[in-house]
Amino acid sequence: MSDNKGYIGFACAYTPLPIIYAAGYTPYRILPMGDSPDQAGHILHDNLCPHIKRILDRAMGNDLPDLAGMVFMNSCDAMRRLADAWHRVRPDINMILIDLPATTDEIAVSFFTGEISKLIDAVSEWSGKKTGIADIEYGILLYNQISDFMNELTEKTYGGKTNTSVSVLQKLFNRSVTGSPISFIEDARRILSENEQGKATKGGVPVFLFGHVLPDPEAFLLFESSGAKIIGDDLCTGSRFFNPVATDGKKGIVENLAESILLRPPCARTIDITMPGKIGNVMISKAKKIGAHGAICHVVKFCDPYLSRMPSIREEFRKAGMPLLVLEGDCTLRSIGQQQTRIEAFIEMLR
Amino acid sequence: MMLQYFKDLESGIAAKIKENPDIPNARRKYALEVSRLGTRLYSGENSVAWCGVTAPFDLLSAMGVTSCFVEFIGAMLASTGAIGTFLDHAEHSGYASDICGYHRSVLGSAKQGLMPVPDFLIATSCPCSGGLAVMENLAEMFKKDLFVLHIPQDESGKNVKYLADQIEQMTGFVSAHTGRPIDEDALRMAIENTNLARELMKEVFELASHVPSPTNGHDLSNFGIVMALLLGTEAGVNISKAYRDEFAARNREMKPGMPGEKHRLMWIQNRIQFRSPLDKLLREQYRANIVVDELNSITWEPIDPDDPYTGLARRAISIPFNGTIRRRVNHLQKLALSYKIDGAINPCHRGCRQGAGARGLISEGLKEIGIPVLNLEVDVVDPRDFAEAQLSTRIEAFIEMLDART
Ligand code: SF4
Ligand code: SF4
Repeated sequence: MSDNKGYIGFACAYTPLPIIYAAGYTPYRILPMGDSPDQAGHILHDNLCPHIKRILDRAMGNDLPDLAGMVFMNSCDAMRRLADAWHRVRPDINMILIDLPATTDEIAVSFFTGEISKLIDAVSEWSGKKTGIADIEYGILLYNQISDFMNELTEKTYGGKTNTSVSVLQKLFNRSVTGSPISFIEDARRILSENEQGKATKGGVPVFLFGHVLPDPEAFLLFESSGAKIIGDDLCTGSRFFNPVATDGKKGIVENLAESILLRPPCARTIDITMPGKIGNVMISKAKKIGAHGAICHVVKFCDPYLSRMPSIREEFRKAGMPLLVLEGDCTLRSIGQQQTRIEAFIEMLR
Repeated sequence: MMLQYFKDLESGIAAKIKENPDIPNARRKYALEVSRLGTRLYSGENSVAWCGVTAPFDLLSAMGVTSCFVEFIGAMLASTGAIGTFLDHAEHSGYASDICGYHRSVLGSAKQGLMPVPDFLIATSCPCSGGLAVMENLAEMFKKDLFVLHIPQDESGKNVKYLADQIEQMTGFVSAHTGRPIDEDALRMAIENTNLARELMKEVFELASHVPSPTNGHDLSNFGIVMALLLGTEAGVNISKAYRDEFAARNREMKPGMPGEKHRLMWIQNRIQFRSPLDKLLREQYRANIVVDELNSITWEPIDPDDPYTGLARRAISIPFNGTIRRRVNHLQKLALSYKIDGAINPCHRGCRQGAGARGLISEGLKEIGIPVLNLEVDVVDPRDFAEAQLSTRIEAFIEMLDART
């Protein structure tokens, strides 16, 4: 097995990357970045989140590597509509929409295992070769290594134990989902050594950052230049992405993969029925655990999963006495830049 | 407030039906049952479950639970004209003004303590992620248990069984909260009623497709979606029968619902739920008849009373809002052809990602069979910034275009 058959695109942090790799492809996350012309709203609607629209803009503007296929997760209405629109604008590219349960109980894990099996069949068909269990095991081992590496690096970076800056860390997160996983760790070491000296934030007020997509490394520089020191995150383009898969042989490998993806730190779209609305509390405990003085939540416009939960999140933060700044953006650096005065004022207040 | 509203509505409609007991009075019978449902929800005397749109209401009713999808309350608040204060309240409480107005109004109402406290909640992942989020919010606000039904996208593989198993699990959850085990006879009777109503509704829709249509553009508004709440009950059967008889008589006696019907239209997704002048404009000025709504159709097979969970699962999966847009477009094309429509109106309800997000692809899909679509920009429950003049102009231009095609 090798990853030389080209790229398979994906758009959501819940995507089972080891399966894509196992079929011989390099997973390529289409991040909502770049400056493709704004055209997606005509096919979708302007009321869809900018994350989705930017991905479609990139597809329409041909701002992508050659893709042998595209894997969508049915994580929210916007993603589902993106899959439909993608099919319309890029019928030349194979695609599959994998259903994603909203909960994480046993029956959901078993269903998701079935969905991953569908993905295995699809990528096998695309590659013209059956993706076997050994390939999948290898893919899992490789991504487990990347997870371990990134988790360790994240912890060290946020803990101030390396000279790595959070913007370099974000570059690595992006690189880990857009390039060959086999060469990632080597590349990562190189990027780290190139950036080693004097880039990490020295001072700054410790802040916890959460929300969904925030892939632009420059955004992290902007937070730092506003006086913040990001000491932890819960972002789906950040540390939430990597959760090693159990390989203890207690369950089937595909089921283990399904479980590790569903049970990873949840995005707002996933519900824990034993504790509805728990996301606010989870964020507060994370922030407290690492000693943050306050938290910044970055949400994109029109994102129902986050926006509908914001009042409850704010309320929990208020009750816990933890200051919270909510930034609503459109995935561009410009939109965060426009709020720099608010960020500075917030950080000032935390001092 | 809402209890009194529903009670007044109920007594007013009952009195009107009494005046003419021998005519079918289908729409009134429908409205009467809707008001009775409202009274049961708000009276504080029943086990109440707030649900998502695709919950199995007949099963819940067989289990002695008054259940309702929360969007129904949003629609009711809009029709009373009082919705603005609830929307304001939700927005002041921090809910973004661009989330679905149905959900915003319900959250506003719950925040103000004006939603009945349920015994439990059942969320459904279909039709929308906004719906799931509102149920999670309500469960948190009411501090009540939540059950989530994940509706898969299609019937492939083990999807039907997966949902059937969840529905069966749900009955255990319901029993644990009501203290009543499921009564197999009651369930069988409910399923039989559902199947009876299904047959009758199918006839109603077939009759409505007649040219000219026996419906007047209003008779069946919200019918398909709201009837889901009455399935399993005798009331559901009686209403369907009343519609069937009324439409059959109109067709037989050649008394169309809209005399002089000029254009036949399809309404996509939800109607405008507050009083708007657009209805009158279409009806009186242009003789444009909304002969079919997207959800006014039967997309599921009869349910086997010996295997109810499988049939209930298939029904939930079959809703056109589920799955890919191609599936939805196929459904719309089928309706368009069987109702011989001239054009379609899509309100593109602001805040509905699954619906408005499909706008472009729906227009293209209907264009494939030569049906033009008028895409509006309306929040169908929020009258606060209803752009009447602009919308009327767009409708006028659309009708002129239809005139030019005839
Ligand atoms: S979760 Fe939010 S940001 Fe992500 S795709 Fe869905 S709507 Fe967009
Ligand atoms: S209008 Fe759309 S977002 Fe609102 S309840 Fe209906 S399907 Fe959900």
